[in-house]
Amino acid sequence: MTEIQTLHILNKSPEHPRFTRCLSMAGPEDAVLLIENGVLGLGTASASVSGKLLALEADMAARGMGGQSGTVESVDYDAMVELTTRAQQVISW
Amino acid sequence: MSTLIVIDQPPYGGWAGREALDMAFSLAAFDQPVSLLFCGAGVNWLRKGQEPGTVRQKSVEKNLAAAPIFGVEALLADSDDCNRYGLEPGRLLDGVTLVRTDAQLFAGYSHTAFAG
Amino acid sequence: MSEQQIPQRNNEGFLEDAWAWTPQVAETIAAEDSIELSDNHWEIIDFLRDFYKEHEVSPPSNRLFVKAVKEAFGEEKGNSIYLMQLFPGTPAKTACRIAGLPRPTNCL
Repeated sequence: MTEIQTLHILNKSPEHPRFTRCLSMAGPEDAVLLIENGVLGLGTASASVSGKLLALEADMAARGMGGQSGTVESVDYDAMVELTTRAQQVISW
Repeated sequence: MSTLIVIDQPPYGGWAGREALDMAFSLAAFDQPVSLLFCGAGVNWLRKGQEPGTVRQKSVEKNLAAAPIFGVEALLADSDDCNRYGLEPGRLLDGVTLVRTDAQLFAGYSHTAFAG
Repeated sequence: MSEQQIPQRNNEGFLEDAWAWTPQVAETIAAEDSIELSDNHWEIIDFLRDFYKEHEVSPPSNRLFVKAVKEAFGEEKGNSIYLMQLFPGTPAKTACRIAGLPRPTNCL
């Protein structure tokens, strides 16, 4: 199982200034997990994230984006918790 | 395990920052190492001479001055953002350390949480 | 002091306006809890009044109340047993109520 340097938990939609800031800070050793409104930025994020990109299943389904789960690694709540334990550090944006 | 709480929203217009301050105080109450970073419009929390009685709110300036008493380790401010808002060192609250907000800064904390 | 002369209070007995407080108000509120105010009580009450003037906030929780007292007076007084003896119940709540400060936000 690969180590994650920083897990970025991003819950802001793409218009929020922190969305851009988060993506510009995420390095190749990092993972970006989109949750809540963050899942709306899936298209934008997949174009620019060099590390791992994940999205929370429940939040995608809630917004009618369940069909897009093939385009990104989707995770459930248990996997989200597991991710936080694998990361050296966590940033909640 | 040290935590950095980041406030990037200005004071008085919303409650997110106060909630974050509360979170920082609570961590300190349980002796968890915690620091506060002010960046973006959030640096306006640190301006001397706030008189928010005019908008019927308590002074975040005075609230923040209690941070060291409660055990908050450091008050940090982004130096570029301070410049952007005309906050020369003389206009900042005492005890604020100027820093650059980047990955290197965040690397010093096991958890970083933005307010609101 | 009769009940009518006490400034307006909320349903938990905290003053609505911290600046309406007087030492007599403290005596009256303390008496409701059967507390007779000694010099040791007044030291903490005066400390809380000053704290509120300077920071416009009550110590938000009991732990932070103890911590602030410890910062000011040292280990001997900044411990929960000492403060519990002076201000029974939840010391932060009892002390703030008597000192006329708002209810600590994070005390149950």
